[in-house]
Amino acid sequence: MSGWFTIAKWEFFRSKLKFDTRSAVLLALSLTLVIAASFAAVQTQMSMNQKIYTAASSEPTLRPILESDQRFSYMPLTVYEATQFYMYGADLVIIGNNVYLGDSAKSAAAGSALENTIKEYREAVLTSYDDINNSHPVWVTVHDIERPQNFQLLSAQDAAGTMKAVQDTENKDLGEDYPRGEITQEYLNRGSSFTLPEDISELDDYKGKAFFQKQTLSTPSFFSPPIPFTAILYAFLFIFPIYFVSQFYSTSIMDERTNKKGELILASPLLSRDVVIGKTLPYIIVTLLIQAVITVYIMGFPADLRAAQSSILILVTILPVVLLFFALSFFGAILSRSFKELTFTSVFLSVVISGYLFFPAMFANIHAISSISPITLIVRLIEGETVLVNTYLFSTLPFYFVALSAFAFGTYIYREEDLFTQKAISEKITDCLEIFLLSSYGSVFLLSIIFIPFVYMTQLMLIVMLFNLPAPHSVIVMIVLSAMAEELVKSAGIYTVFKRKLQPVKLKSALRLAVLSGAGFFVGEKAVAVLTLAPIASSAFGAVMTMGNLLLIPLLLHVSTAAVSSLVMYRFGTRRYLFSVIVATLVHSIYNLFILRGVLLG
Amino acid sequence: MAERTRPYGKIRSIARKETGELMREKTFILSVLIQLFIASFSTFLVIGLTSFYDPTIMGDIEMQGISIAVVGTEDNELYRLLRESKLNTRLYSDLTPAYGDFYEHKVDAIVIAPPGPPEGEEILNVDIYLPRSEIKATLISLQMKEPLEKFEQHVRDIRTQRLPGYSPIEVNINKRGIKTSSTYFEFIYVALLPLLVFTPAFISGGLVIDFITEEFERKTMELLMASPASMMDIVSGKVLVAVAIVPLQALAWMLLMGANMIVIRNFFSILMVVTLIGAILVLISSMISISFRYRGVSQLLYSMILIFLFMVSYLFTNSPLNLVTRLSIGSIGTAESTLWMGIYSLVALALGILTAATVKRKYDNN
Repeated sequence: MSGWFTIAKWEFFRSKLKFDTRSAVLLALSLTLVIAASFAAVQTQMSMNQKIYTAASSEPTLRPILESDQRFSYMPLTVYEATQFYMYGADLVIIGNNVYLGDSAKSAAAGSALENTIKEYREAVLTSYDDINNSHPVWVTVHDIERPQNFQLLSAQDAAGTMKAVQDTENKDLGEDYPRGEITQEYLNRGSSFTLPEDISELDDYKGKAFFQKQTLSTPSFFSPPIPFTAILYAFLFIFPIYFVSQFYSTSIMDERTNKKGELILASPLLSRDVVIGKTLPYIIVTLLIQAVITVYIMGFPADLRAAQSSILILVTILPVVLLFFALSFFGAILSRSFKELTFTSVFLSVVISGYLFFPAMFANIHAISSISPITLIVRLIEGETVLVNTYLFSTLPFYFVALSAFAFGTYIYREEDLFTQKAISEKITDCLEIFLLSSYGSVFLLSIIFIPFVYMTQLMLIVMLFNLPAPHSVIVMIVLSAMAEELVKSAGIYTVFKRKLQPVKLKSALRLAVLSGAGFFVGEKAVAVLTLAPIASSAFGAVMTMGNLLLIPLLLHVSTAAVSSLVMYRFGTRRYLFSVIVATLVHSIYNLFILRGVLLG
Repeated sequence: MAERTRPYGKIRSIARKETGELMREKTFILSVLIQLFIASFSTFLVIGLTSFYDPTIMGDIEMQGISIAVVGTEDNELYRLLRESKLNTRLYSDLTPAYGDFYEHKVDAIVIAPPGPPEGEEILNVDIYLPRSEIKATLISLQMKEPLEKFEQHVRDIRTQRLPGYSPIEVNINKRGIKTSSTYFEFIYVALLPLLVFTPAFISGGLVIDFITEEFERKTMELLMASPASMMDIVSGKVLVAVAIVPLQALAWMLLMGANMIVIRNFFSILMVVTLIGAILVLISSMISISFRYRGVSQLLYSMILIFLFMVSYLFTNSPLNLVTRLSIGSIGTAESTLWMGIYSLVALALGILTAATVKRKYDNN
């Protein structure tokens, strides 16, 4: 039997032993408490906005309305006091049919809250009449229909840093799918059939539906544009269990390391690859089982072949996300020197990945760019749409790449000298790179390509993080930081070569490595650009065409900035690694700023 | 005298050791980074989404280059209302040319105005065709809401007279110059601010688990116990560090929000509340980790309790998060806020005594 299977079996049975009866009982108890408290919380308005506004009034006509909303606290005043309501700390005053607001932002917000509350109250009163034709006479039916899109997609990955738009010109004239002859509503409504409600009780169905499903039919008062909450909800439902299981997983890896518990396994004739697979597989399987349960919970038990197919597709889409979470937890557990460090690393990574998953998913149903997050695909599958293969590849390939390389690098240093020593993190990373470079297929060229998905994901995150800086500054900081990310990965291989003396530290080899590394990054970057733009712009050919005239300059740029850091390290030694990266970043940023000067100054 | 200062000296040296490790491992910086990330992310959402989804914020932006096709007649009430709004409208008498223009991006939505009279008996259905997966679809549906509601009101004015005993609520809200919506305001003060200032407290609770379980799992607790420091000193030192960093980080967040023009009132009361909650969480998790000693189990139990407490916070006014919200916008009187801070201090005190008792019970050597 293969070695990994033994380890997996071991891991599976051992993990239970940690829970003695006492902790198991306490955990069960706390789980019950959580469920009970959540159940109680759901009965409320699910917001901690109790009594944030104070509404004053001299007459109690609107009191029942105000008291139906937990945001308001009611303050009875005399008619004279009411004219000076702000003296008593009230945000607004109701005198007769008029509402007067104070002059603070809070008062303005209170006024807008009151407006909504009155509207809700009105709807509730009207609903109590069982006469839909007179109480809710107008209904809105929303249909989403396809039309050819012209994309204005900003390519964050463009080597020169120029913001260029890829315009899809293929479908400019009326395409083949443009219908001939008379267009009727029946034609446009195909596939979607709505019948108008006949009974007031159906109103609740449509209100309730809006939360979990896309709204298609409602009255104008309940009409709301596609709000991103659905996507966030799904994301939470799917991602939350992964957080928990990956916590256990990284603790288990860390456990092997504390007090050299894992020494015996390493001493056995097993490959470290088998150990890693064996230790990881049980957790992945458990997580996927949980995800399957969640899928069934959302989709219902698959009744026919089509339903089963989309359920399976959901699982296939969540798989790379699970893999990435585990890969980074694994790598984090190998690098950390203490539990504290592990906690922070795993929390940090979880937050970063969640950001990457959640943010684009909020634009599901709004913009096609949202499909960089697999969660968007899941939302689409749940809503009964189809997901094309290239969309799947587009959103999941970076996940697969990053996950696999993190696992691979972690496995490289899954050995005694890295696991059981208090080596600095940078030393451990250098160890990974050294082993990679020494392997038969390893080279600086390939290393740069491998790092591309990391840089790609980092840059996407940077856009989110820097968004709240004022406009010209955020662009400049973005340029500098993304240049730094690129320089960091391009020089990492060269650093390792020099530091570990894999090749003689000579001027010639410094230049040769720079050319290899820069060219590798360039090739990888272009591959990513073609891959990522292709599914959106629907023609990879067009994307390559627009890059044509810019091909040579980015290649030169990548090679020359790599040469800058390489030469600095050659001249001043690897101890000045950070300095060399900073110099290269400066050169890179200046170039990018020069290219973008029009955008920045204009 | 010497008797009294020595135990504190021991606590201090434990605290110094933990602080030193915290700084050396750079984990503290990482934790600050996490919070910065959460903050940026939330601000991104506030600015990006609230302004996007809130017509009052978008109010002054003209809907340039976006026009909608209305299929109906010139005298249709809905067409009149749509024309009054910020949307550019084009009238079509037939769906076929409207769809052709939609397909060619000359218009971005098609609205089919119901021909039926408002006085009728039938439901009036407005069909809206929006381009799938285009940002314009959201913009249009945002701008459509107001004219649609006016249309509904128009029809209701006629039809609700048929409902027995119904009288509409007539309230006139006199708005002043400040343009804000409750969604935006509440997002900042009800969601963002409490979440940011309490994140350090949540993190410290987890941190103290690492502090304590690490000593057990690495078997260094015996070494520490062999030193003159008692178990009580060790735990106190660790608790002290974990609690002390809470107000520091919370202060940083509040200053950062202040720099973003978000006015926060009752600065020091908020810091007090956050520190008290930090102390409560740290004491709970130190009790857990002394009892269980394993990191995985302790962290899981702690997260469960944290979720439980969070859910319970929804249930009553002046829960810690609600208290911070009300303090920050000055919606709470001094007497009420002092009372609740007193209550939380008592909880913290009780947990402190309970923790001391747990330590004593487990390590009966004082």
